[in-house]
Amino acid sequence: MDAVLIIQSLISGIMMGMVYALLGVGFSLTWGVMHVIHISHAAFGLLGAYLAYSMLQYFGVDPVVSAAASAPLLFLVACGVYQLLIRPITRAKEVIVASMILTFGLAIILENVMVLIWNADPRVLTPTYASGALIVGPFYFQYPHLVGFGLSIVGITTIYLFLKKTYTGMAVRAAWQQPEAAQLYGVNLYRISMITFALAVSTAGAGGISLALLNSFEPHSHNLWLIYLFLVVIVGGVGNVIGTVLAGLIIGVITGLSMAFLPYQWVNLVTFGLLMIFLIFRPHGLFRQGV
Amino acid sequence: MLRVDNLTVCYGQMQALRGVSMEVSTGEMVALIGGNGAGKTTLINTISGLVPPAAGSLSWEGRPLNGLTPDRICREGIVQVPEGRKLFPAMTVEENLIMGAYLPTVRKQSQESLRKVYDIFPRLADRRRQLAGSLSGGEQQMAALGRALMARPRLLMLDEPSLGLSPKAAAEIFATIRGLNKEGLSVLLVSQEVLETLAITAHGYVLENGVVALKGPSLELREDPKVKTSYLGL
Repeated sequence: MDAVLIIQSLISGIMMGMVYALLGVGFSLTWGVMHVIHISHAAFGLLGAYLAYSMLQYFGVDPVVSAAASAPLLFLVACGVYQLLIRPITRAKEVIVASMILTFGLAIILENVMVLIWNADPRVLTPTYASGALIVGPFYFQYPHLVGFGLSIVGITTIYLFLKKTYTGMAVRAAWQQPEAAQLYGVNLYRISMITFALAVSTAGAGGISLALLNSFEPHSHNLWLIYLFLVVIVGGVGNVIGTVLAGLIIGVITGLSMAFLPYQWVNLVTFGLLMIFLIFRPHGLFRQGV
Repeated sequence: MLRVDNLTVCYGQMQALRGVSMEVSTGEMVALIGGNGAGKTTLINTISGLVPPAAGSLSWEGRPLNGLTPDRICREGIVQVPEGRKLFPAMTVEENLIMGAYLPTVRKQSQESLRKVYDIFPRLADRRRQLAGSLSGGEQQMAALGRALMARPRLLMLDEPSLGLSPKAAAEIFATIRGLNKEGLSVLLVSQEVLETLAITAHGYVLENGVVALKGPSLELREDPKVKTSYLGL
């Protein structure tokens, strides 16, 4: 094994990991704050990727611009989904199970809608700089990868600052840690749940676009993405933003290295194996503390 | 100021409160005592809007409170320090306090409120960057009380503020509550420390099995034979 290959795959792993983290952070928040396991989270991410694809294909709009523009759009769509589908089931006895079944159905619907609109062929995002690369010594970074990486750093930093510095973000954390007390001091739990859900979905869009800058995608890709989401959230701890980022990086590096050194068909085995090991030995993740 | 009339509250088939009436006048400190399961917490959670009443009415300065959500009740200045403190454990002390001033109506004054709270509890100022979950019991109660003060209460309801505290910490909390009341804050104090509570309050209500068993000036309640045997162990 040569050092260049190891370092190169480490760096691609880190880039990949940051993108997983952006996709995962919203998934983790909806799970932690609302006890909703949002199975269609990755499908919304994929929808973001397809929107960016069409914007690029037909109007020449850069994916970064699409990510910024799709965020408010997905936010509004998600508010509607929350009011129509999620809010009624939050009164169910087993919110987690009910939400999983409901959003599983939603994911299937979204997938088929994407097949209808964009058909089932794999797609890649090819902005004008797609073939360019940054070459530093022996290392080689494709521009779209760098852009996707940058986009996910910006996305995660935004969420982090929102949770830490704004009143609404603090209310999200408060509602997660102690819902009754949060209510007593004026937090409207429904409003906060809707904002959490919508924010998560809009960051999923940016995450999906980032991932589409790194990999090709097709209408059922969200199933594989979802496995990574579970892995990132379970390793990082539900509702924990920093944990999610660290978990994303760890998992990115592990998959990056396995892609470089293992036959391709083994890579998913490593991922699923990790997921099982964590569920058995560390079901609360590596880091206990939440948002 | 606060009037509770003939209030009945049910959890499923069980009646937790049956026809409870009480009132708290402006500037007064009122005691609510009773054993476990008597309905004390249910009563203040109903006032706070966390639990819906099955029958009866609640009014605040002549206006009905029935059906208002907890955030609206808080906006009216009726603020609760919940049993078990219920701080946000993974937030710092200062973030917990800031959350007390979450409502837009009090948010503007939050820096001024924060200074006041740190004046009352200098120990919270020392611990401002520490996570609330890492505080001692006494400090947690200070933080919980401080958080409620951040909401600029006009009626402060405290549910078992001395529960689980050392006698010294409990005495400190009671002294602070008394001081706040002397400055004009109306207080509804729920406590199992019957002797202390009746010593610092003007009026009291004794709840038993969801009904008001006794009421009157605290001094008289202290001398009541029933209170003596059931709550003071005399």
